[in-house]
Amino acid sequence: MRATKLTALAAATLFSISLAACGSDSSSSTTSSGGESPMAAPTTMASSAPSDMMATFGAGCSAVPADASNPGSFQAMAQVPVATAASGNPLLSTLVTAVKKAGLVDSLNSADGITVFAPTNDAFGKIPKADLDKVLADKKTLTSILTYHVVPGKLAPEALAGSHKTLQGDELTVSGSGEDFKVNGAASVVCGNVQTANATVYIIDSVLMPKS
Amino acid sequence: MRAWAGVAAGLAAASLGVAVAELLAAVTRPAAGPLIAVGGAVIDATPTAVKEFAVRELGTNDKPFLLGVIGLVVAALAAVTGAVGRRRRLVAVAGPALLGLAGAGAALSRPAFQPYDVVPSLTGAALAGVVLWLLLRSRPSGVRVDRRVFLQAAALVAASGGAVALRGLAGGAPGRARESVRLPAAADPGPPVPAGLLTSNKDFYRVDTALTVPRIDLGDWSLRVHGMLGRELRVTFEDLLAMPLIERPVTMNCVSNEVGGPYMGTAKWLGVPLAPLLRSLGIRAGAEQVVARSVEGMTIGTPVATLLDGRDAMLAIGMNGEPLPLEHGFPVRMLTPGVYGYAGSCKWLSSLELTTFDQFDPYWVSRGWAAQAPVKTGSRVDRPRPFARLDAGVVTVAGVAWAQRRGIEAVEVRIDDGEWAPAELLPAPSVDTWVQWRYSWRATAGPHSIAVRATDRTGAVQAQERATPFPSGATGWHTISVTVS
Repeated sequence: MRATKLTALAAATLFSISLAACGSDSSSSTTSSGGESPMAAPTTMASSAPSDMMATFGAGCSAVPADASNPGSFQAMAQVPVATAASGNPLLSTLVTAVKKAGLVDSLNSADGITVFAPTNDAFGKIPKADLDKVLADKKTLTSILTYHVVPGKLAPEALAGSHKTLQGDELTVSGSGEDFKVNGAASVVCGNVQTANATVYIIDSVLMPKS
Repeated sequence: MRAWAGVAAGLAAASLGVAVAELLAAVTRPAAGPLIAVGGAVIDATPTAVKEFAVRELGTNDKPFLLGVIGLVVAALAAVTGAVGRRRRLVAVAGPALLGLAGAGAALSRPAFQPYDVVPSLTGAALAGVVLWLLLRSRPSGVRVDRRVFLQAAALVAASGGAVALRGLAGGAPGRARESVRLPAAADPGPPVPAGLLTSNKDFYRVDTALTVPRIDLGDWSLRVHGMLGRELRVTFEDLLAMPLIERPVTMNCVSNEVGGPYMGTAKWLGVPLAPLLRSLGIRAGAEQVVARSVEGMTIGTPVATLLDGRDAMLAIGMNGEPLPLEHGFPVRMLTPGVYGYAGSCKWLSSLELTTFDQFDPYWVSRGWAAQAPVKTGSRVDRPRPFARLDAGVVTVAGVAWAQRRGIEAVEVRIDDGEWAPAELLPAPSVDTWVQWRYSWRATAGPHSIAVRATDRTGAVQAQERATPFPSGATGWHTISVTVS
């Protein structure tokens, strides 16, 4: 009699403990696709594109390749640093040439988080050819102009309006709101909030000129 | 007392004992539970052919099946013990004691055992012995209520034990996660590592295609080594822990890193050296590449010749003194010094297959990346940062340079279009890690560019020509712009 009570008590206690233990069951292994790998190949996966890529805006965005395997697409640009991203985009080939001539490829690619106002080929086309060639041949002036297009930190569209000190040293001023912005009152943002691995890019339709 | 009462008492006592032992193990060391320990010992003792048969016929149910069989055997022994123990009390004591010793012995036979792993089995056995003795001493004959109470109590004890056993069946090895791993010390600890050379696990780059990080239960994991070998091998994590381990500081590079980019890091890796393991299995003539597969289907190919040329290629289980972090390949990744990660360092490893280059194109090779991918000599300016604004005067320029397998002979710095000047090299533990360098620059006002280049110990200067990461790694001298005022 005594023994059966003891057994029943032990059993009941134990049963409650073992039920509690079941609650902390370890999770089983999950499946996915992966392994050590290069990141952005010409034939890369597009599935890991950041979700805020959808937030690009502007009429000019339609000129950006839609095929994710194209290095100029938003998906491909999001995976690589900014100078590499620009070099994949045919709309920005003059800018890329200028960046290379100024020796700024590595600086832009390894900067810690920046905003780049990227003039299109058409924007450079507004400058008389003789003047453009002269600037492209003058590394110091070219560096000054290009760094005037770069602001420290990644500026989201909500933080875009206002005055920002550029890497060149002078300030630039962005006016507007929503999806309609102008830089220094003249250059329009034709495609905004393009993400790259280390920079947020606003594509503009005119080249900006520093005061100094 | 009737025979059925003895059988019931034996089953109840055994259920209680096993349940207590498993619970004790669950809160201390899951691997020390008697069912898991005996299961592991049985798997070790089973011939490979039978194991292959079981995996083929039962798939992932092989471990629940094994645990079920062990449970039935224990139950049968307990029933006999109870029935015989009615008359022979020595058997009632000896039965649980022998089962407890069997569990404890199995726990001690595990490669990663700790002395206190015997505690769950012995405690459970002692409790089972006491309960059986008490049950057999009580005499539920005559009074019907007593018999019902006895039956209910016995059923309850059995059910609770069964619940724990079911949990083991369902989960394979409950709780055998990264937290339960205790890494042994390296048999060959390698060279001392200067302070400041290593990248912390938290800051170590991660580049892979995994959308969610695989969470692998050690109870479900094993590594299969097969293909063009004299014999194939299947090892558990405990098997790997029991092998002689090496620990080496190694710098890893991602092939998709741009010039000056962040996708590289140096860690102290603990693991099983791969070359002797492969040789012990008898590498067949004509085997050209080892194809590593991850649990989620990534395939990474490494030349056999590369793995056997004397470098410290390993099955890595530890990173900077910890078990591999989940995102860096827990429980085991391959690590091949001097080869870009996509061609030598598969994470979440599940199998290694020896084959030819013709037979199989690994994941990235089939997408156009190079099949052979030695890390190219490189260097990087880490300080100052690009576009930094500096004060005129002495500025310390510093960074890293790397040429795994060859070693760094010299690093030079050039300001603007000036002459190349030698940088000071800090001590490095081996040719497989990066070398830290620094250079004192007398900075004058104005915009400046800083370039760096390295020379390896074969005398070759780092390539100046710009190459994109695709298909075999970027080249070019890292050059950054700063402004001094």
